[in-house]
Amino acid sequence: MIETIGVKREFRTGKDTVSVLKGVNLFVNKGEFVAIIGPSGSGKSTLLQLLGGLDVPTEGSIILNGSTMEAKTEKQRTIFRRRNIGFVFQNYQLLPTLTVHENIVFPLHADGKKVSEYDVQKLLKAVDLKGRDKWYPHELSGGQQQRVAIARALINQPDILLADEPTGNLDRRRSSDILDLLSKFHSERKQTIIMVTHDMFAAGYADRVVLFKDGVIETEVRREEDDYAAFLSRFMA
Amino acid sequence: MSVKHSLLALLYENPGHGYELKTGFERLVQGMWPLNAGQVYSTLDRLERDKLVESPGYDEKDRKLYVITELGKRELWDWLKQPVARSLLKDEFYFKYLCADLVDYEEKQNMIQKQKETMIKDILALTQLKKQMNESQQYSMKMLIEGALLHLEADIKWLDMILQD
Repeated sequence: MIETIGVKREFRTGKDTVSVLKGVNLFVNKGEFVAIIGPSGSGKSTLLQLLGGLDVPTEGSIILNGSTMEAKTEKQRTIFRRRNIGFVFQNYQLLPTLTVHENIVFPLHADGKKVSEYDVQKLLKAVDLKGRDKWYPHELSGGQQQRVAIARALINQPDILLADEPTGNLDRRRSSDILDLLSKFHSERKQTIIMVTHDMFAAGYADRVVLFKDGVIETEVRREEDDYAAFLSRFMA
Repeated sequence: MSVKHSLLALLYENPGHGYELKTGFERLVQGMWPLNAGQVYSTLDRLERDKLVESPGYDEKDRKLYVITELGKRELWDWLKQPVARSLLKDEFYFKYLCADLVDYEEKQNMIQKQKETMIKDILALTQLKKQMNESQQYSMKMLIEGALLHLEADIKWLDMILQD
């Protein structure tokens, strides 16, 4: 379960204060797949950073699985993140000097956990990269790199998966593979997924679409509601 | 859709009776195109008349069996070999678009917007269907859905183009 209560985030630039999030109230049930859409600069990615404990709100509260994030020290947040949250980014963010295998197990090493080779091989198979253990990121296509990033995000079996434009750099075919993969893990592992996207096809996988505008949630709609398609047609091109 | 050729393909490996072919067809298309028994039997009659299938007799439940003939196999291969021509400009919505211009239809923008909504509904439905195909590992049908989604993507781009016109 994820809850944000009146979350605000301001950034100082010189004398100016820029208010990126202006009071976000969002509740996401366990196992829900939520897509966040909205114009660039509307605060979508900032919210994801806050949910992932990479940043703290200026005001308001973030509660993940019953833990209040802003009450934790940075170290506690880092540990919480490693154990509960998987992150997938638009530009993959793999470590270029590490192999596929080393990238995938990196979160385990960081957490001082033992690597189960069985789990790694199972994940490699699930993301269709069996036999690529020793390859380096630059030897892989964009779609393959993103699949490594997904495997890395899932190695700790997190309850929550946060994805920031996971298909933003991929063509339709590769996007479709990545979304199918996320959707497969979502149904198999009942993870909560929050995905920021500009892509209507990606949003089509979600149970609920939330529209951000100027740092607040403007509106939202659930898949089962009649105006789901009308909503997407208005806000996504 | 060629029911005739689908039945020939279903009979390619094994003989079958009408009901078996109906369920086989529905499995092939994942229930997306319903086919009534009447259509199956009338198609089988025509195939038999044209010597593309023949009947070796009846099964133990007295159901008429069919097998594909050499002529039928040739017909199937020829059909697979031929490319399919598409009538790219004969879409119903294209005609609406032309006619809306002709009569200076005031609701034209709304008409386009509604069409876009309908297509997004199709995208949502196909995405759900694709999830099911992934789960049941129906690769060919999944690729068909991918194709339909790509068409819809192009259609929506075009609708956005004419909306801005």
